[in-house]
Amino acid sequence: MNTPASAPENGRGDERDFFLPDFCEARAVLAIVLIAALLGFVLALARQSTPDGFWFDLARTTAFLLWAGLLCAAVLCRARPWLAGKPLRPGIAWSLALMVGTIAVLSEVVYLLGRVWAARLGTPSSILPDSHWRFVLPNILIAAVVSTLALRYFYVAQQWRRSVELEAQARIHALQARIRPHFLFNSMNTIAALTRSNPARAEAAIEDLADLFRVSLNDARAQITLEEEIEIARTYQRIEQLRLGDRLQVRWDVGDLPQRSVVPSLLLQPLLENAIRHGIEPLPQGGIVDVRGRLDDDTIVLEVTNPKPTRAQASPRRGNRMALENIRQRMELAFSGRGSIEVDDAEGRYTVRLRFPRIGDGAAAAIPA
Amino acid sequence: MDESPTSPPASEQLRALIVDDEAPARERLRRLLEEIGDVAIVGEATNGMEALDRCAALDPDVVLLDVRMPGMDGIEAARHLATLEEPPAVIFTTAYDEYALAAFEMEAVGYLLKPVRREKLARAVRHAARLAGPQLARLAEQSQLGRRRTQICARLGDQLRLVPLEDVLYFNAGQKYVTMRHRGGRELIDESLRALEQEFAPDFIRIHRNSLVARRYVQAVERNPEGHLLVRLTGCEEALQVSRRYAAEALRQIRTGH
Repeated sequence: MNTPASAPENGRGDERDFFLPDFCEARAVLAIVLIAALLGFVLALARQSTPDGFWFDLARTTAFLLWAGLLCAAVLCRARPWLAGKPLRPGIAWSLALMVGTIAVLSEVVYLLGRVWAARLGTPSSILPDSHWRFVLPNILIAAVVSTLALRYFYVAQQWRRSVELEAQARIHALQARIRPHFLFNSMNTIAALTRSNPARAEAAIEDLADLFRVSLNDARAQITLEEEIEIARTYQRIEQLRLGDRLQVRWDVGDLPQRSVVPSLLLQPLLENAIRHGIEPLPQGGIVDVRGRLDDDTIVLEVTNPKPTRAQASPRRGNRMALENIRQRMELAFSGRGSIEVDDAEGRYTVRLRFPRIGDGAAAAIPA
Repeated sequence: MDESPTSPPASEQLRALIVDDEAPARERLRRLLEEIGDVAIVGEATNGMEALDRCAALDPDVVLLDVRMPGMDGIEAARHLATLEEPPAVIFTTAYDEYALAAFEMEAVGYLLKPVRREKLARAVRHAARLAGPQLARLAEQSQLGRRRTQICARLGDQLRLVPLEDVLYFNAGQKYVTMRHRGGRELIDESLRALEQEFAPDFIRIHRNSLVARRYVQAVERNPEGHLLVRLTGCEEALQVSRRYAAEALRQIRTGH
């Protein structure tokens, strides 16, 4: 933290990971009020006094607990940035000390209030404590026990939140569409060949490859327009075209689609990649891939069809199912259940069809996060 | 493909054949080999079948063979090449194949990673070795490529005769060779019935200690007056006897389809 600019950022970064919740938040304050009321109720019940005595105990205990809870919250709220900077164990020790200290001071103040009351009016107040140690000492002990339990709870809850978060991150990370190594090295080989025979083409191929990489390195949740996604798929096709030559033909019929509609990135490109890998590459003469899109009311239907090699022609390449499952999950994330993927495995033709809602295309529909 | 435009090679020059389905990959290998010098490029092929034709016609010393190709992949092509009387040395090329690479390492088979470096290519060409049939069979098994051949190859002198697997009616083991009966006639092949059975199950069914029939051609199973079970195959005049030992299992496979 050498530069002043980085200091607050680092501080906040630590705080977000800190196990104590932010007690300045309205929700935390409400929770403390509720817990104080319930705890007061339990303690009053535990005294087993007469019906009249019960209401009296309830009022007295709850009032004290409310003050104790809110004061502790205020202290921890102010001390949180400072506590968050400490290592875990000292952080816990200091939090505990602050809470017990706050309650000890409060107890002392309440006792002194009782003394002042008694001195002014000549008789001790029935609601304020009269015995110093019988009031302050148990309060400190109760504070220590309850604070320890509360800290333990906060710590466990934070650990649990963190593991859930990490799991979600791992899932999203796993969904990241990746460039296949085979494609990367084949493209490099193609470019190496072109650098001498056709430098202009080699240059264009490197630009295309860079664009593809940029998109695949994006966050898996990145959203782009349909127009951009179609351009990515076309970029991919250009690179494969260099390698496969006349064997690869792609017929595009996507002109009628709402180009500004928003989709998760790399939705169409993996479908084209699969069609080429499983449908065109195994055929010595190559074939035609059809990419078709249409708008069905407010649903976008995107179809990729490729010829299906016979069993003898097909090489044992796996990964088609995995790619489809990946797209399905990313559609689930992006369209929250409103997207679907279906496979039409007919004689000689293999079609994958995506359906998903038109989103953000001038219309005010919000993009689900 | 086209013959090398360079002048007729001197006798000490290595004669190389380039096999790859991608034009830029062939172009690059050709250029690198030309730069290396003492190698004459005798031709190019775009898939395994073509590679076998070119090898028979051009008799190269060394074949640069891409692993993944449509039709017949590189490993299957190498398996057929290994049956030649004077097989060429083989160097595999691949962009990325985890399984194949592991298998090449294990079997100590020469391979090059694309994009190929000139020095590595020069060294590989100089040290290229012939590969033996069993070694290639293990390679096919481990790399999960060419494990199941699409063609069966019979040797006629120094020529290869390839018969598509789907044309084979049955294999019959004789004293020394296995006879392969196919739609276009019959050939002798130098392979064991056991290995063929393993490679082509469940499309071929063992009906006798010495015969393996193609399930797709099984027309009928009948009993002759002597009480023997016979299998009749479509397009085949003779019927093949089912031995008692294989009868139950063979009938089950014929009926259920697997």
